Formats: sequence, structure tokens, C-alpha cells
Amino acid sequence: MPNAFSTDRTVLSPRISRFISSIHEEKQQITLMKNRDFHGKLNSDDWGYVYYPDFKFDPPESDRPDGLITGYVPIAKTLRKFVNDMPTYVNKNSALGGAWVRVIAEHANIGVRPEDRPEHLYDVWGKYSTRPGCFGMNHCAGDMEIGLTLGWGGLLRKIRHYRRLNDPSDTSFYDGEEEIVLGMMEFASLVANKASELAAGEIDPDYKRNLLDIAEMNRKLAYAPPDTFREACQFIAHFQTIDRIYYAGGALDQIDRFLLPYYEKDTREGRLTDEEAVWHLASLFFNDTHYSQIAGLNPDGSRDTTNRLSFLVLDAIHYLAIPVNMALRVHDNVNPALLRRALEYILEDGSGVSFSLNIGCEQGYARNGYPVELARQRIKVGCNWTAIPGREYPLQDVTRANMGMALHWALQDIKNGSASDRTLEMLFDRFAEHVKIIVDSIKEGYDWHYEHISRNTPELIYNLFMHGPIERGLNCAEGGVDILNFNIDGVALATVADSFAAIEQRVVNEKRITWEQLFDALDRNWEGLEDTRLMMKNIQRFGAPGSLAEKWALRIRDHFVAVCKSSGTPKHNLPIIPGMFSHGTILELGKELPATPNGRFASEEISHSAEPDPGFARGLNSFSPSLKATAVAKVQPGYGNSSPLHLDVDREMLQREGGIDALIQLIHAHNHMGGTLINMNCLSKETLLAAHKKPESFPDLVVRVTGYSAFFVTLSKEYRQQVVDRFLA
Amino acid sequence: MIDPEASGTLFNIQRFSVHDGPGVRCVVFLKGCNLRCAWCHNPESISPRPEILFYQERCIGCGKCTDICPRGAHIMNEGQHVFLHELCEGCLACAPTCYAEALAVSGVRMTTDALMTQLLDERPYFGEQGGVTFSGGESMLQIDFLERMLAACDREGVHCAIDTAGNVPWSFFERTIRYKPIFLYDVKAADSDVHRRLTGVDNTRILENLRRLSDIGARLWIRVPLIPGYNDGEMRAIAVVCSQMNAERVEIMGYHRLGESKYAALDRSDAIAPQTPSRSALEDIRAVFQEHNVNAII
Repeated sequence: MPNAFSTDRTVLSPRISRFISSIHEEKQQITLMKNRDFHGKLNSDDWGYVYYPDFKFDPPESDRPDGLITGYVPIAKTLRKFVNDMPTYVNKNSALGGAWVRVIAEHANIGVRPEDRPEHLYDVWGKYSTRPGCFGMNHCAGDMEIGLTLGWGGLLRKIRHYRRLNDPSDTSFYDGEEEIVLGMMEFASLVANKASELAAGEIDPDYKRNLLDIAEMNRKLAYAPPDTFREACQFIAHFQTIDRIYYAGGALDQIDRFLLPYYEKDTREGRLTDEEAVWHLASLFFNDTHYSQIAGLNPDGSRDTTNRLSFLVLDAIHYLAIPVNMALRVHDNVNPALLRRALEYILEDGSGVSFSLNIGCEQGYARNGYPVELARQRIKVGCNWTAIPGREYPLQDVTRANMGMALHWALQDIKNGSASDRTLEMLFDRFAEHVKIIVDSIKEGYDWHYEHISRNTPELIYNLFMHGPIERGLNCAEGGVDILNFNIDGVALATVADSFAAIEQRVVNEKRITWEQLFDALDRNWEGLEDTRLMMKNIQRFGAPGSLAEKWALRIRDHFVAVCKSSGTPKHNLPIIPGMFSHGTILELGKELPATPNGRFASEEISHSAEPDPGFARGLNSFSPSLKATAVAKVQPGYGNSSPLHLDVDREMLQREGGIDALIQLIHAHNHMGGTLINMNCLSKETLLAAHKKPESFPDLVVRVTGYSAFFVTLSKEYRQQVVDRFLA
Repeated sequence: MIDPEASGTLFNIQRFSVHDGPGVRCVVFLKGCNLRCAWCHNPESISPRPEILFYQERCIGCGKCTDICPRGAHIMNEGQHVFLHELCEGCLACAPTCYAEALAVSGVRMTTDALMTQLLDERPYFGEQGGVTFSGGESMLQIDFLERMLAACDREGVHCAIDTAGNVPWSFFERTIRYKPIFLYDVKAADSDVHRRLTGVDNTRILENLRRLSDIGARLWIRVPLIPGYNDGEMRAIAVVCSQMNAERVEIMGYHRLGESKYAALDRSDAIAPQTPSRSALEDIRAVFQEHNVNAII
């Protein structure tokens, strides 16, 4: 590891600049096609798939009467056929070949056996609009070094070696994994052939050379491991391809670590310039928006891991100018030039990396009983979530415990009980009981998940890149890896806290309305009672300093965390980690929730993650990023899973003298206050409102929706409104 | 009952400001001002007393305010709420009944302890350079409260700045300088007649206080508002004043129009609406200051 490295911005030659701007334009075209067919309703990561509207896939015949494709071998055979049958994409402006074309479930009946579905839990999950997470897929991360060291050929030998060594009575685990690897070897060969074919017809010598290089590289990678930086990027691109096809997996690894040896070797030997490395990285990001991280502490905590490659990653994101999901792990001694560069690029581009914070993530994770040295290796590889690549099965971001529904049922209990039961404490007791029912039902579902997932939809891709599954012959979700964790995300915190505060202030303290009138207003969805609704809404809401709602938010958080952590799952005692992340489910969960006492209408969205609702800062306290950041930091669940802070910063503020310094200070302060993740946009009000009105006029506007980035134009009106509301808060 | 000597009247707390002193600052806006600047962008800061702001567009016409107002200042006229400001005697009884928040109170009494609790919540964001800035209105007019706040911040190691127009007795400054604040000192005109025309008062005391602060080595940031059509002609003379002061920094601040909606809320029709100066106009003024060896920030 060099002690000193350049922190300069990479300056691109016209040749490299042409390559990168051309793949940017290609991306625009692909996005426009997707948007045309999906009508601005993608609402997710701007996945890197190349859209072939006419592609049809004929899956292998199922061995089941119901036609379902399930289990190791049937799914793996289907995936192998899919990568052979799908159109082979090679772009002469990209340094890398290949692309994925859609998630396989859209083309084949893949899933869980009906007899394995937890029907006994459906009623309780339905009652509370619970997203239970049972049979959740792909929320884990591989150690990319395993694949880069072995290559597809080495992985094949490893599978065959351990199949012989373990000699299991049922070899389907190994047979399935072997199908995957064989499929990827064939896929690399197909890419090589396609590149050769295109090279033959290419007149431009520069493009011809590039296509021939892609062909040669892929021929080698069909069997051998990568040796160069470009080959390593190509191998990772193929991993991204198969990972996305199977259940839209999106987790990568610490990119400035696993690619560093290749970068150092190639630059030392004069084979690679920085601008070429930027092109290769841009090509990798064009291939797909997998989640990755740069910077952070090394395992013993003695130094920051930032290196030259960390800067090149930022340069590549900047020059490519499409949504890329990169996190920068912040700690007290993070390279200051890297942090500043990341913010400079956000100022210039409007969006960029997110900031994963070490104190909340690492010390929080250590509270689960893990050494902090291990916690430092738990990096951000999902839209909000973290994992120890290759070593942890951390199932996160697949559950939603809707505390809004717990409040709804608590209100029903009080309403239907005796008059003497109509107290705030009784309401909270009932709420607490319903939260416990929700959490317990998710835990029960996780036991079911643990027992059934492997024979239905195993983690066929990640198993190859993890420490243990191949060695043991076990899916990572059932003990293939040493560390298993199961996350439960509580949502609607501000909705519920504001509701309790409104009841305390208006019903109990001020006695402006009775309980009966409140129940009536909720039943009527506030119809004809606008004044009453505004009375309940316009209190000091969560986020306002010293508010009643903040007190309730803390109490609710404490209860939710306590019921999550009080025990593992009932049957297998699997460990639970609480979180508060909502993603875009605030819309769909809101649609299922009746009116709430905070003045919210039935079907309106619920609050986001651990954040105050837009408009919370009023009167004496003007809105400020720090006010929101303080509120979010205070209610973190505290066990290492991210509960993000979304900041949409006014460009004018950031451009002023000291603006970037102020944001640096805010990031460090949020870290020290226990925050875990900051997602940031830098926009002007005028641009955002104009883009909301006519999104197709702003095809280049990239925004950070939550933990992921997307083209603004691809979002539905409701999702765009979320971003606008946050900005105008 | 709040002890009036231990409390101040605030109309806003603006956190995470990078505009009012070094670093990240929490700006506390105190109510009451003894200047009447024609362009004031905080018109609600002028009166020292809490007062009612009326936002017509939020009104849902519930009529509760018309029932509660003892002076009949709220009337419904053909379904439209009209607030007769001249009848309002400031009892503030109407605002709590207005759930739509069309009526809002500007001005909250707050004790030093309560304010300190909020300011200390912001401390993690201050870093090495930041802190609290007391602004207004004219923050020095609440000198008892201000002095208590400066002492409280000093005890907590929180750095303070005071944004002032300087139109107060020198003895007020003497009560603050022991806490070593930075003075963000407004100079709006150099000529006394012009100053009187623009602000209602002459600037003899203002410039004298400025000179005395300079002489004793107080930390000074001079701030010069540029109001196109009003004080542009004063810039050269102001540059001369600045060149004679021992100021750490001189800032030229272009007029902005953020206060316009507040004039409507206060039913003030006397607002002027100068244009926001262009970047090049600010650059030109900076060059004027440069001619007098003053490196001004714009």
C-alpha cells in the first residue's frame, strides 16, 4: 500500500472522453426506451439492464406438475439456458462486454413450492399489512476476491473438489452451483464471439482494437482468472450480470480494495493509465448499478483505506453522469480530500455518493455481540443496508413492520373497550402489544424461511463468492456461512409519534376534542372535519426541538427495539437486528392504512424511515439540515443497521463560501450523534419543480431517491413528489 | 410566569447557517429594532412585541378567530377573511384557535436556559469555527438577555457573534466585549443625511461605536448591504470608512427579496422592492473597495 498517492482529478483525453460520453448517451437511449414502455414507473435502482422488448425466453421444462421451477438444479439449469439464449450485448465504447436483459422471474415460473408457503401466518401478516421478509432473496454480499482469485474455471474446480470431499447423499447443491459456473463460462465465450463478430465489421481502428481486446479478454475469462485491472472489471461485470438476472441481486463489495491489487500491478508495469482505469470503472458502472463502498477503516482500525483508486471511482461516476450506487464510509480520519471531492462532485452533478457512517454502523453492530474489528468489515452494499461480504447472511431490507397498523388496531381496541380504558397509557399498552404481535410474526416467518428457503430458491450466485457454502455444501441462508442475522424494519415512526403527541396535546391536555370525537373523525376519514384535522396535524411534530412527538418517537423506538432484541426467533433462536428503513413502501403501506390521529388521511403515505415528516419545522424553528439530522440521529435503533437521513441541499447554499465545509461538519456531526447513513442531493428549487412538471425535459437529472440513485424521469409521479416534498420541507 | 429579566423575545432560530459569521452557526433572531430600513427583509423583527402574521392563502374560513377577537380585528367579508391589523392590540388570542396556521404569532418569549438547551443541541455541528450568532432586529436592544446568553455560551465554550447595526449606547457594547464576540457590524451609508433618509436615524453614534470597537481591537466583520437604487452611491464613502477600521473582514451583501411575503402577512404596503444586484454589479463594488485597499467578500 503506497503511503502517498495523487488526489488530483483525472483529466480525460479526447479518446477516453469520447468513450465515456458515448456510453452515457447509450444509457440515455436505453432509459428512454424503458421509460416509454414502463411509463415512468420504474421507482427502483436504475438497473443497468439493456432493454430488448422483443426478447422471449423458452425455459426448460419443469419437473413438477404445476410447472414451477424450484430448487438448486432446476433453477440453475434455467439460469444457464437463459444466459445462453439472451441477446449478447457488446458496446464498442465500453471497455467491457456483456449485459443482462431482465430478471429471470419475468420469463420463467421460478419460486417457492405451494406446500412450503407459510399459510398459517398469512392472516396475521395481512391484518397488519406486514411485509414479512420470509423467502426474501439476494440481500447478502459476496467476497469478490474469491471469484477474482479463482475465475470461473477455478470456481468449477472448487465445486468439484468439495463435492468429492464431502460426498453428500444429495448432490443437488453442488450440481446446481456447477450449472451456474458452466453457464457463465459459456456466457463469457458468447461475449467473446460477439465482440469478434463486431470487430470484423468495424472500420474505425480504435473501436476495432477495443472490440478485439474485449474478445480476447472474454475468451480468457471463460476459464482463467483475471490478471489485469480491465480483466478484473470484466469478471465483476459478468458477476453483476448473473446476480441481477437471478432475483435482481445488487450487492458488490469494497471496490477500492478488491480492485486495488490489479490497479497497482498494472500501473506499476506501465499497462494502465489513470484515465484508462476511469474508463474501465465507468464501463463497469454502465454495466450495472451494483452497490459498493469506498474508504473506511481497515479491520484493526489503525488507518483509513482510501487510496488512489478511491479517487478514480469518484472520477468515473462524475464523468459517466448516470445513477451509480456508491457509498463512502466516513470516520474521523477519513481522507479529507476524498470527502471534499465527493461533495464537490455532488455540487457539480446534483447527486453522487452516499455517506455511510462508521460509529452508528460499526459500534452499533458490535452491540450485537460481534467484535468491532469484524464490524469494520461490514460495509454498505445495499440501498440502505450493510453486510460483511462473503461472511454474513444479513437478511435486511426485506421486512416492513408497519407500526401505523399497530396504532390503528390499538385505537380500535380502545374504541371498543370501556370508557375508563380511554387513556393515553392504555392506548400505548395496546399499541405495544400489537407491535409485539407484528414482530413475533416476522420472527416466526424467519424460522420458516430458514427451514425452507434452501430447497426452493437458494442463493445460487452468492454461494460461489462466500466463505463456507462450497466448502460445506450448504446454502448460505442455512449455515453455509458463519454469521446469520435477520433484520426487522419498523416503519411509520413519525406517523405514530405525531399521532400520540396530537392525542396527548389535543385530547388529553387541552381537551379540545373527546376520544369519541376522535374515533368518529378517524372513521369518517376527517370528512367535514377539516378544522379538526388541521388541529391534530398542526402540533409540534417529531423533529421540532423538545416536542411531545419527540418524546413519543423515543418511546416507540425503545419499545420496537426491545421486542426485536428480547429474543431470537422462537424455534431456531436466529438473531434479530432492528432497523428503520422504509424505502418506497411508504406509498403502498400508506394506501393500506386508515386515517391516523396526526391528521393524515386514509391512504396517504406514511412517514419515511426514521425521519420527521416534511413540514415538521415551523414557527420559531426554521427548517435546517441539522434540525432534521439531529432528529434522525436521536431515534436510530442503534444496532448497526442503517436508518438513513435524506438531505436535499439547496445548491445555492452549497456554493457559498464555507458551504462544503459546513456539509463536511454536518456529516461528521451526524456520525458522532449515532447516525448511520446520509443520502444527499444538491438541487435548486427551480430545477426540481420544473423537472417535476415536465420530467422528460430533464433526461440527465439524477436524484438520490433513498439509498439508491435514479434518473428523475423514470420515477412515478408519487416518487417524484417525495423528492420534491423533502426539498421543500 | 417567566421572569422578564431572564427571558428574551425571539422570532426565529435558524440553524446551520453559513451566512452569519465564521463556520456553521445557529442564528438567534431577537425581536425589536430602532432602525427603519426601507428594504428590511425581516419586517416582523421591527416591533419588540409579539404580533400576529396573517397568511391569507392558508385560511380555510372557519371563522373561529372572528369569535374570539375582543377587538373585532378579524371579520368575514363575503366569505373572505379580512384581518384589520390596525385594530389588533396584540392579545394573540386568535392564533391558537387557527389550526390552519393562517394566523401565526411572530415573537416568543424564551428563558436563557430554554434557549441554551436548544443551542447546545446544535453544538456538534459548530466544529472549531462555528457557534451562535445573535441577530435581529437589533439584538443589542435586548441587552440584558443578550448579556446573559453571552455569559451562558461562554461558560459552555460556545463562540458567539453579534449582528448589529450599532445604534445603541456604547455602554451596551461594553457589556458584551468581555465575551470576545465577533461583531457583524452593518454599515448602510456613510453620509449621515443619506443614512437618515434610508433608515430613519443618522449614523453619528453608529460610526462612533464602530470606531471605538476598532480602536479597542474587537473582532470586527463589517457588512455592507447593497440596495440598488438606494445606497449604491454610498459605496465609495463606505469603502473609505472600512479602510480606516481594523476589520477582519468586509462583506458586501446584495439585497435579496426573501422578505416580501412577510410584508403581505403584516399587511405592510410600504415595502420597497429593489432589484437583486447582479454578480457583475457586486464585482464592480468590490473593485471600488479594492481601490481603497479593502478586500471585500461578495
